[in-house]
Amino acid sequence: MSSTSAPPDSVKPHLPGETGVWMFIIGDILVFSLLFSVFVYDRSQEVALFVEQQQLLNQTLGLLNTALLLTSSWLVALAVHGARAGQLSRARGCFVVAILCGIGFVAIKYFEWGEKFAADLTIETNNFFMYYYLMTGIHLLHMVIGIGVLVFLWQFVRGMEFDAQGVGVLESGACFWHLVDILWIALFALLYLMR
Amino acid sequence: MDIRNQLICAWSAIGFAAICLVGFLFADFIPPISPNLSAEEVAAIYRENTLPMRFGILLIMSSAGFICSFAAALSMQMKRIEGDLVPVFTYTQLGAGCVTTLVFVFSAVFWTGAAFRPDHDPELTRMLNDIGWITLLMTFAPFIIQNIALGLCILSDKQAEPIFPRWVGYYNLWVAVLFVPGGLLTFFKTGPFAWDGLFVWWVPFLVFFTWYIVMFYILLGTMKRQAQSEPAVAA
Repeated sequence: MSSTSAPPDSVKPHLPGETGVWMFIIGDILVFSLLFSVFVYDRSQEVALFVEQQQLLNQTLGLLNTALLLTSSWLVALAVHGARAGQLSRARGCFVVAILCGIGFVAIKYFEWGEKFAADLTIETNNFFMYYYLMTGIHLLHMVIGIGVLVFLWQFVRGMEFDAQGVGVLESGACFWHLVDILWIALFALLYLMR
Repeated sequence: MDIRNQLICAWSAIGFAAICLVGFLFADFIPPISPNLSAEEVAAIYRENTLPMRFGILLIMSSAGFICSFAAALSMQMKRIEGDLVPVFTYTQLGAGCVTTLVFVFSAVFWTGAAFRPDHDPELTRMLNDIGWITLLMTFAPFIIQNIALGLCILSDKQAEPIFPRWVGYYNLWVAVLFVPGGLLTFFKTGPFAWDGLFVWWVPFLVFFTWYIVMFYILLGTMKRQAQSEPAVAA
């Protein structure tokens, strides 16, 4: 493509990351939406049970996890900004703290689930706890993959080259982490808060 | 370059999907036999439809081998990305793809076991029926490794003109995610995660067969470009 016929870059709207990543993200959100819809439907069949069982969840730990994820998302955004501005060591620092937040989230989930197991609340107890374990479990799988992505980005920034492709990789990974964050917020509202 | 043999293998995707789906229709396996039925109810299904079930299951068995040849066709294009030296994702995809054949082979064997003597103890019929469905739907392990290997391979393509479009790489990673809930059928007899539920049957079933159609078209495109770009090797 010749540069004269193409519109100048500043006019084009910027889509962070590469287009393919968005296909994955939208696909994943689609599946989660389906899961959330099924949850809301089943909940409407047994509202009393769901509201009663919800009381057994630990809202404080849920809120703590939300705070950790939001912080990590913010740090990842800072890291991408830093890397774009050439502040590589700052970017690496942000990634490290974001990774620690992620690990903290998983650790809290471990204690939260442990607490539930100790109280004899398992995936087979009732429909509410079936959804609780499934939704938090599938999200946890995303978390683990996401932490892997952040570790990769942390290493990637070290030898990063400042071309469009390098920034693209960085943004793609960051977008996945934001997806993990957004899914948790929806899930937190549905499982822990919805009355 | 002559791509005839590759084309034959690529078309096996259509062979597999068509024969297998007709088999499912004959056996009346769409939707699946519910895991929530009593032994007597399951035995009655096998007793009353023995002949179409045997035939449908036979078709499912016949379709299974095509999965191997299609995995081989994918591998040839993946190898163009990885080269001859370390085609490690290529081999992973080929191996996992071939194991997928076994999933269909063994499901068909167990269902045939149930349909072979429809007058035996209902408990036995139900157990064989159970094992058939569990073999088909819980076995997400080979599928997801096949998809992840293919996805990572496509995304690692650094050539100016990539062999596969890049979105196909992300598409495969997404497909891998969709198969994981299959493992959850172990906990449930009813609901969206039972083997006749939304996330274990309908979504994976739809995604699995569309994957064969989508990858078939993508593969035809890559082969066509290969035929044009490498005319020197023409046989």
